[in-house]
Amino acid sequence: MSKVVLTVDDSASVRQMVAFTLSDAGYTVIEAVDGRDALEKLASPVSMVITDLNMPNLDGIGLIKEIRANPACKGLPVVMLTTESQESRKQEGKAAGATGWIVKPFTRQQMLAVVKRIIG
Amino acid sequence: MIDRFRQGFLEEARELLSELETALLELDDRREDPEPIGRAFRALHTIKGSGAMFGFDNIAGFAHSLETVFDRLRKRELEATADLVRLALAAGDQIKTMLDAASGQGAPDETGCAGILEELRRLTGSGESGAAAAARPRPETAPAEAGAPVEWHVHFRPGPNVIVNGTNPLLLLREMRELGELQIQLDAGGIPPLAEMDPEKCYVAWDGVLKTTAGRDAIRDIFIFIEDDCELTIEPVAGNTPAASAAESKTAATAKAASAASSIRVSAEKLDQLVNLVGELVTVQARLTAVSTRRDDPDILAVSEEIARLTAELRENSMSMRMLPLRHTFERFRRLVHDLSADLHKQVELAIEGADTELDKTVIDQLSDPLVHLIRNSMDHGIETPAERAAAGKPPLATIRLAAMHSGAQVLIRVSDDGRGLNVAAIRARAIEQGLIDPAAALSESEVLALILAPGFSTARQVTDVSGRGVGMDVVRRSVEALRGSIEVQSKPGAGVTVTLRLPLTLAIIDGLLVRVGSTHFILPLANSRECVELTGEAVRQAHGNHLVNVRGETIPYIRLSEFFEMRTTAPEREQVMVVETEEGHYGLVVDEVLGNHQTVIKNLGRFYRDVPMVSGATILGNGTVALILDSDRLVQSAVHDISEKRRADHGKSRRKPGNQTSRKLTNPSQKKENRIHVT
Repeated sequence: MSKVVLTVDDSASVRQMVAFTLSDAGYTVIEAVDGRDALEKLASPVSMVITDLNMPNLDGIGLIKEIRANPACKGLPVVMLTTESQESRKQEGKAAGATGWIVKPFTRQQMLAVVKRIIG
Repeated sequence: MIDRFRQGFLEEARELLSELETALLELDDRREDPEPIGRAFRALHTIKGSGAMFGFDNIAGFAHSLETVFDRLRKRELEATADLVRLALAAGDQIKTMLDAASGQGAPDETGCAGILEELRRLTGSGESGAAAAARPRPETAPAEAGAPVEWHVHFRPGPNVIVNGTNPLLLLREMRELGELQIQLDAGGIPPLAEMDPEKCYVAWDGVLKTTAGRDAIRDIFIFIEDDCELTIEPVAGNTPAASAAESKTAATAKAASAASSIRVSAEKLDQLVNLVGELVTVQARLTAVSTRRDDPDILAVSEEIARLTAELRENSMSMRMLPLRHTFERFRRLVHDLSADLHKQVELAIEGADTELDKTVIDQLSDPLVHLIRNSMDHGIETPAERAAAGKPPLATIRLAAMHSGAQVLIRVSDDGRGLNVAAIRARAIEQGLIDPAAALSESEVLALILAPGFSTARQVTDVSGRGVGMDVVRRSVEALRGSIEVQSKPGAGVTVTLRLPLTLAIIDGLLVRVGSTHFILPLANSRECVELTGEAVRQAHGNHLVNVRGETIPYIRLSEFFEMRTTAPEREQVMVVETEEGHYGLVVDEVLGNHQTVIKNLGRFYRDVPMVSGATILGNGTVALILDSDRLVQSAVHDISEKRRADHGKSRRKPGNQTSRKLTNPSQKKENRIHVT
């Protein structure tokens, strides 16, 4: 059974890149277009969430808060994708309960390393 | 592969740009609204983020500067002024140029960037240089540093909440092990008595010695996510001993077949080809059905039915792939209206309705030009200046309404304005001047309106000055006809003009109902056929010559096709009435026999027959004969018209529907028809 990673991003090309990289490494990837969509997709078991921060409907910070507030998702790793290298945004995400972050632009190897670090 | 990602980015960025444009135009209307600002910000943010990721640093850098401005707008540090919106629109265009250059169309032109950035700085007073793009590479994980392995003493005590936040400390230890040889010891001293223990908290710590060639930063990097939430010390062990073990790099990704993403992009040509093939298949399948029915062999019949079912499904599937919502096409006109209203010094708002209506891609592609013409016409001639509007007692802000809706197998697209309407007298005068009509000709108002669509009438300057229309209307008509559609123009003096385009849902294949009259077959589009009832000779006699049939208490007027087409056939004792839904209400079409459902591949009629209004095309039946596809709407309209003409001749002015019945839907059909004209 391969591990399921949920990629949440309103940019199809980023989702495509995440999906391609991770499925290449043997993970199963499901996609969500924003935070709200992600919450719906979390109804099925997911090993890890990779989310963008700026999204319509429900943004990344909001998604992280929702996940942390949901007992069914206890301890679910959530990694934020961020272009903002400003510390504030990252701190906000960490305070909300993010497990880690990946700074865009990233290479496929960098992303794989983070995913491996977090879910093995 | 990377090229594929880049291609994906380019396409996506174009979509984002049109989203940006829409948001900006909305912002222009409602400067205080945070919603469009947020949308513009996100669009720019994504362009920047993805752009940098796929190597478009110039685009990313430029988008970044704009994003900064929108971030400040979002935080209300800046105000959205008209100048700023205009500049942002220009910047959007600049990004588009850069994208075109990146995809190999046009030369890379970045001179525009500097100008826009300069003006941006002037407007916002920001010191942002724009070059501070997102290109900030992350420190490499585990750089293989040359040299002998060094021993590090690592003490690691994760914070109590790391597990709740999704970190698995054991995986971090495993990652350390990948850097080299690791000896590690658990420090379980922090574990409280069971009664006090929270199973979700982490109480333990680890001490270990890692022998690795990697440096301190590489080790620290493993713990970067919980750096602030753990105790971590990494110290070199005194008296380092070199060792031979080499760190194994396991980062090489295993090459596996890529599993498919949830959607793929396919070129439109391939889809067209697919639909063509399906069309051929449907025709062949009809032949198979005909043959198997003739043979009456149960085995062949069973197979043929199965194939018919599969073909129908295949057809539906392949057609649905080509359906696109009109939203994208419609939204683009916001820019046109915005720009034109500035040019013409008029205040116009574009109201869009039914943008989710789906239409075949081929139709959508060819729809843009006619719509541009119509909107331009409305803006240019139909809508008055604010002063004129005020004088006429209208609000200064004019509205152009762009609406799409389904109507059976067709989609109606309406472009209406609340301008001054058409000047019938002026059109008539101009037509006489151009020799299109005889000065003595007695034309009804609708017939006069029809003239603006006539080829010779286009770009008539005089009429433009006096009354309004005439620019490229015949061009519009030709494009719409090419799509097998039709146009209607309605006008109310002082209250505006409505142009309705009636377009087929698809150009290729429809669901039809095969009917027979005498020895001739016809197809009726299934989409607006409602039901089928019997018409007995008895019922006809009881109706005393009125063409009316009672369907479950509802009295429905009918048209006998054999009479309407003047075919010399003898009607059978039991005829069939197909009840169809039309704009005029429910009507019955009387045929000899209803043969059943038919997947209809639409073929164009030749030039000679093309202008027959109630026939929308033809199809080839299983036995090779041709059946005409009837347009029930037009057929009913035409029948109503014939009858009212006849009645007008008989009784003077009264206009009635067949069967002497007033329609349920339209209390006064004659009024509705007044200003309408048809072009097929």
